Amino acid sequence: MSRGNHRIWWRIAWRNLWRNRRRTVFTASALSFGFVASVLMIGYMDGIVEELVSNGTRVATGQVRIQAEDYQPELSIHRTMGGREGLDVDALLAAVEAQDGVTGAAPRLYGGGLVSSGDETVGAVLMGVDAAREEAVSRFGSALVAGRMPGPGEIVLGDAMAETVEAEVGDEVVLVAPAADGSTGNDLFSVSGIFSVGVGAYDDSYALLEMGSLAELMAMAPGRIHEVAVSVERIREPDIPANAIREAVAAVSPGLSTEAWSGFLDQLYFIVNYVATFNYVVAVLIFGMAAFGVANAMLIATFERRREFAVARSLGTSGGRIGRIVIYEGILLGLFSLAAGMALAVPLMVYIHNNPIDLSRFVDTYSFVGSAVRPLLTVEYSVWGPFVSALALVTTGVVSALLPAWRAVRIPPADVLANR
Amino acid sequence: MTTSTHDFRDRRAPARPTAWVLSMLAWPLSALVPALVPAPAAAQTDPRVLEIIDEVDRLMRGESSTGRMRMEIDTENWSRSLEMSVWSLGTEYSLIRVESPAREAGTATLKVENEVWNYLPRADRTIKIPPSMMLGSWMGSHFTNDDLVKESRLIEDYDIVISFEGDRDGEQVWEFTMTPKPEAPVIWGRIEQQIRKRDRMPLWAHYYDEDGTLSRTITFEDFRSLGGRLVPARTVIQPADEDERTVVIYLELEFDVGLNEDFFSLRNLRARQ
Repeated sequence: MSRGNHRIWWRIAWRNLWRNRRRTVFTASALSFGFVASVLMIGYMDGIVEELVSNGTRVATGQVRIQAEDYQPELSIHRTMGGREGLDVDALLAAVEAQDGVTGAAPRLYGGGLVSSGDETVGAVLMGVDAAREEAVSRFGSALVAGRMPGPGEIVLGDAMAETVEAEVGDEVVLVAPAADGSTGNDLFSVSGIFSVGVGAYDDSYALLEMGSLAELMAMAPGRIHEVAVSVERIREPDIPANAIREAVAAVSPGLSTEAWSGFLDQLYFIVNYVATFNYVVAVLIFGMAAFGVANAMLIATFERRREFAVARSLGTSGGRIGRIVIYEGILLGLFSLAAGMALAVPLMVYIHNNPIDLSRFVDTYSFVGSAVRPLLTVEYSVWGPFVSALALVTTGVVSALLPAWRAVRIPPADVLANR
Repeated sequence: MTTSTHDFRDRRAPARPTAWVLSMLAWPLSALVPALVPAPAAAQTDPRVLEIIDEVDRLMRGESSTGRMRMEIDTENWSRSLEMSVWSLGTEYSLIRVESPAREAGTATLKVENEVWNYLPRADRTIKIPPSMMLGSWMGSHFTNDDLVKESRLIEDYDIVISFEGDRDGEQVWEFTMTPKPEAPVIWGRIEQQIRKRDRMPLWAHYYDEDGTLSRTITFEDFRSLGGRLVPARTVIQPADEDERTVVIYLELEFDVGLNEDFFSLRNLRARQ
């Protein structure tokens, strides 16, 4: 068949589609709205996932973390990177930052201790940080509600902890912490800032100190750290940089464990995958329902044209060609609906993305699996969501056309023309 | 959630309530027998044991002493040596202050009857050890805070019998076996102790848990005259399941130094002398 001939069948299909304009518009609307609903739903779910991953990894942990192999799960203060002698922290950070997709790396020293002010005492996770490096990895610096990040002899508390011990910026607090030499580290620290990252686990139990001050309190030699937290560009796909980092740091020191958040925040990873799977379910549900409506409309349209098909058959058109016309109609209906749906979905998405609907009057922020979600009805742009929806839509058009096409092929020309 | 939480799990394995540890720290002779008033309730205890205890008790009652000691702690992760000054009065009062290393100098512990306070000089804080921390390590050693206060309760909490009397390796000894009384608030299943007859010096004590498994051993060594009295100058405490130990060595001891209860005050706990 020549190309020109081929095109004619598409034109016939297109014209057939518009013979009953009202019906086609209604049918196409079902598909278009299905598309809009699917795109928005997936965008909304993506928004939640994005926020979960972002809050889960950008607050403190970063997307990749490097620790001594034996640090987890006991988190013993003695299990520092590079063993008891420590390692060349600068070389390690340089090796990490040289990898593609890495946006920052921050060294950390961890300890546990008691923070007291006046008569109040709370247990705290003490985190020794390099304030400048934390900017690229965690939110502590940007989440300061008062003061600044800690310098030598200073401490920054989570707001909930500060409230418990009734400490404000400028106050002195007492720190008591078991040190690495078995002694009890104790000293006075001046509160230089208070942070509020919005995740309870940090706000009520984390205290940040300048790395050197905490090392001194804990009788740890310089060069001994527990962790390097790494941030990467594509936070949902941390495994590629993680693999590169793993190889790079092995050259600096043996015995290190490099893990992406998909490993150390495995519950969050599960939720993210669950939601991604659920997106398909949403698409299948929406278009599954639409498919029946579309098939019904096309069946009627085919039935109405029985005589026409019978004439075409009598004049020598093959059954296959008749069926193909109906399939083409389904495809064209799908593409038309897609265009209409896009015209509707894109501005809507842009609008909602830029103007999230605030539900905080009705629901509180909730934390789970180490992350948190704000009560915002928002959508995240994605390529995947519209792509999946578009594919589902066109597939629906084609699938809906299968039965009508079969019926059209099976028309017995003589009987139909004879009105039997 | 999986956010890291850091805790104190690297602390020494909690040691257990036991007897006479203060004795080893501040009162070497009473290590033999902690307690003092022959306990009327000790119906099951061998009368000969009470006799021995009473004899030592008469020797020690109301004694004040002062001295210096070195504590060497070896653990899987670190080793550390402290020199400390010690003052004590009977078994109820004691004050121990770290002299070196500089990092810890001034850190002090005050024990008055059943209560223990720690003083942290850098933070200038006095902390009363709460009941929940009594089983925690004392100054990172294999002693617990509880070891400091429980030493006078042995006769009250245990039935003590002489399980062996005679020759061991050419030395005439007694071996005591102590089993807790039914309602006694202790966690040891059994304590065994060997004492040599000739000078009533303790040689070792074995602590067993409730399943009868050896939990720790205390060995007394280097018997010598300090301050005019024979004492075990070296005491070694060793957990059974770890290759770790704490050794306490008396460097100097003086007796009858004329301390009274007033000396053992929170003010003196904080004073650097």
